Amino acid sequence: MELITTIKGIISLLVILGLAPVFSGLVNKLKAIFTGKIGAPILQPYYDLKRLLKKETINSGSSSFISNISPAINLVVVIIAAAILPIGFARPMISFDGDIILFAYLLGLARFFQILAAMDIGSSFEGMGAAREAAFSVFAEPIFFFTLGSIAFISGLTSIYDIYHSISLDNVSYIVFIIVCSISVFILAVSECSRMPVDDPNTHLELTMIHEVMILDNSGIDLFLYQYSSYIKLFIYAMLETSFFYPFGVKSYTVGIIIFIVVITALSMALAIVETITSRFKMKNIPQYLLFATAIGVLNLLIYTFTK
Amino acid sequence: MNDSLNLICYALTIQIFAAVIIAFLSDNRKASAVAHLLLIAGLVLGFISTFNILFFSSSTIQSFNLLGIPNNFFRFDSLGLYFLCIVQLVAIPTTIYSYSYLKHYIDEGKSIRSNLVFYILLLVSTQLVVIANHAILFLISWEVMSTSAYLGMIFENEKKEVQTGSFYYLIMSHIVVLLLYIFFLLLHHQTNSWLFSEFHISPDSGNLFIILYALSLIAFGMKAGFMPFHFWLPRAHPIAPTVFSAFLSGIIIKTGIYGILRTFQFLNPTPEWLGWFVIVISMISAIFGVWYALAQHDIKRLLAYHSVENIGIIGIGIGIGFIGSANNSIPIQLLGFGGALLHTLNHAIFKSLLFVGSGVIYQNLGTRNIELMGGLVHRGKYFFILFLIGSIAISGIPPLNGFISEFIIYNSFFTTARELKNYYPLLMLISAVGLAFVGGLAVACFTKINSIMFLGNARKEIRHFRVSFYEYLSLGIFAILCVVIGFYPLPFVKIVNKVLTHGFVPSNSSSILLDINWFLISLIFMSIIVGIFLVYLWKKKNQKKYGAVISEAWGCGNPDINSRMQYTASSFADELNEISKSVLGYHKNIKVPKGIFPVRGNFESHSDDFVDNKLLLPGIKKFSLFISKIRFLSITDIRYYIASILIIITIYSLIAFLWN
Repeated sequence: MELITTIKGIISLLVILGLAPVFSGLVNKLKAIFTGKIGAPILQPYYDLKRLLKKETINSGSSSFISNISPAINLVVVIIAAAILPIGFARPMISFDGDIILFAYLLGLARFFQILAAMDIGSSFEGMGAAREAAFSVFAEPIFFFTLGSIAFISGLTSIYDIYHSISLDNVSYIVFIIVCSISVFILAVSECSRMPVDDPNTHLELTMIHEVMILDNSGIDLFLYQYSSYIKLFIYAMLETSFFYPFGVKSYTVGIIIFIVVITALSMALAIVETITSRFKMKNIPQYLLFATAIGVLNLLIYTFTK
Repeated sequence: MNDSLNLICYALTIQIFAAVIIAFLSDNRKASAVAHLLLIAGLVLGFISTFNILFFSSSTIQSFNLLGIPNNFFRFDSLGLYFLCIVQLVAIPTTIYSYSYLKHYIDEGKSIRSNLVFYILLLVSTQLVVIANHAILFLISWEVMSTSAYLGMIFENEKKEVQTGSFYYLIMSHIVVLLLYIFFLLLHHQTNSWLFSEFHISPDSGNLFIILYALSLIAFGMKAGFMPFHFWLPRAHPIAPTVFSAFLSGIIIKTGIYGILRTFQFLNPTPEWLGWFVIVISMISAIFGVWYALAQHDIKRLLAYHSVENIGIIGIGIGIGFIGSANNSIPIQLLGFGGALLHTLNHAIFKSLLFVGSGVIYQNLGTRNIELMGGLVHRGKYFFILFLIGSIAISGIPPLNGFISEFIIYNSFFTTARELKNYYPLLMLISAVGLAFVGGLAVACFTKINSIMFLGNARKEIRHFRVSFYEYLSLGIFAILCVVIGFYPLPFVKIVNKVLTHGFVPSNSSSILLDINWFLISLIFMSIIVGIFLVYLWKKKNQKKYGAVISEAWGCGNPDINSRMQYTASSFADELNEISKSVLGYHKNIKVPKGIFPVRGNFESHSDDFVDNKLLLPGIKKFSLFISKIRFLSITDIRYYIASILIIITIYSLIAFLWN
């Protein structure tokens, strides 16, 4: 039994690592279709990654060992964070009391080194991106606690797997709760993974980017590691989102998987639609956007606590 | 066990002897070497024996024979020993650094004797403060500690900023001591004893209980630097010699925490609202401490504000402990106080590391302004790694020690929500969000100073950058401690658990602190390091195959990128400071170059402390106005003066006589 759980956990992790680029490819494909283009194939992210592996790396003359190790740190940390999240009802590889805090702080470690690596280049473009990343992530952190954290506080559990397992659907307010939570997490995902209303990864102007400009000077395997970890990161947030819907399935493994696929697809549709119909916000409006997500998080929590 | 205790006393004697020996050695260099050697010997001996009792002995010591004579001036209970252990542990590397620091001044021909004596006095008195059992001994040690810190602080007293900055500290110390006198006199009045071990007042005593708590929280809170009383920290730290600012921030402000915890031992169980009060104050300290820090350019001032932040985090733990005490819940108390105690140790370590590091930079570059630094990584790679370890630890990021204590505090939130139900989940959630917010700001702040100071290109020419062996040794010890506590927290958590269950919380043995899966956390941290190493190796192999080129940074086709085009600290922090403009008093003066023949442009940004500008400085102004108004009462003639003293004494005696 123990062995099977572990194997399931490992398989989940491998699925995450393997499928992460598909998700980005799917979003891009859908976005292209919505804007009337044919678009790149869904598997394009894989081709990009493969191409990057065969390129040389170029580093700025003023860079130090930070630029050298930061891509590796990013990837490893994101993988460990992914190992904490469950797929369906499989127990994830890492699951212990308090892993929700570790999850939040691990992403902080990745961010810390990414910002340092950006500043390491010694160019003001990267500095700009780093400053924005540092500023917006400050507002993104509370959103995480107001959504996933709130269920943890209500259920009294501190392991992400247990938290999702504990939710029972006999409470009508849970439906309201997940709708609002989904919106909050969606906004969180958009800002943390530098998607459209917050950041435009496809723009041609360095001054208007956040994440892309931080890795502007990277290439080859460095860029591969950064890109791959940002695919995984987007996928992690998608998984956070799907997790809210697991209680709708009877607690069986297959139904969990189906819910997982359905929600992931729906989410990529949502991302693509949002990216099609909105344009990027002004930089100074982004904190307000994030605070909006925080505010509805609070609201929703109040509803849940008082209707209990 | 008594042997170990005697050893602690011998250790203290050796340290005092170090001060004496300075008087007999005429050569500055020799005096410094001998004194430091003795000091370190004393500290190491003391630390080993303290640690020995703390870690290995099963019971705690209440009475103790000093060299065979029974006395109750000292008390080696678990809390005192824990703080003694922190003082000695952190003092060892600080003293190593002190040797190298003073060497610079000896080379300049400055007399360092008095400074060294003050440092030794500070060390010894701080150790006495945490083991004193008699209130008078405590007050004397406290006073010696405060005064010697002040005297050490004014080492470079020819500078104007040193005079003003240290004066704030002096005033603060006096207010604290005054309040402590009242506090202990009231305690004595109530319990008819001077001994800490016999002070105990239950909440039934009504107003007195609250008055005592108010006195203690104001006095010790002022020393610790909680938010409305933090004003002395950003003033005193930048001007103090680095050894003293490291010790002040690492240890002295922790004596405030020690005082609050002792007060809790005297006065418990605490009322519920008191816990909330402490949490709110601490949360304000934590959030605004780090936010003010973000706006600073002076490295030591910035670190001083970070002390306010970390004291806030410790305070949050204490507040949770108070709530646990009010609700009579052992697990909540264990987690709350446990997190606070462990964070006290952790903060002492990484803050001392960062202060020593900033001192090394200051001595090499001659400036504390981070806007003038940059590219130091190319001059001192290992120095940067050590500083980086401290920065990661203080930001509370895994896998270092800062994360461990914040993890316990988060756990205390969850446990409080689970145990007390009702409206607690909501309040605890808000606390957790607050702490997460602080963490995010700390990341922003420490990426700022690390990247501006160390990365990129030098903004001002670096003439020389040398880090001596002793400086490396001192920083290295601190960094190793950060790493060890981060990767292998179990023994440290065990110590904290033991401190708490022996005479701090009712010893209903709940092992909630040890129930956390520390082994798995260690394993995850290890696997992170191993994983990074493997990916890095893979990357190197790939680079060997496909090539790695060093080139220029992308500058939109502009070929001459120079160091002045880099992002600065102000611009890095601008995004966040803009948001909080009104509270932080952050303002900018921009002079844009205009016209066909533009003249030089100009940009300045300042951040004023709210407490300073709105409360403290106007308050002082009003007070001095009041003083000048009652000035006519002051008499210059000595005869009138004596006469008025006599009159007042007579009035007092009459009152006392009639009262009885």
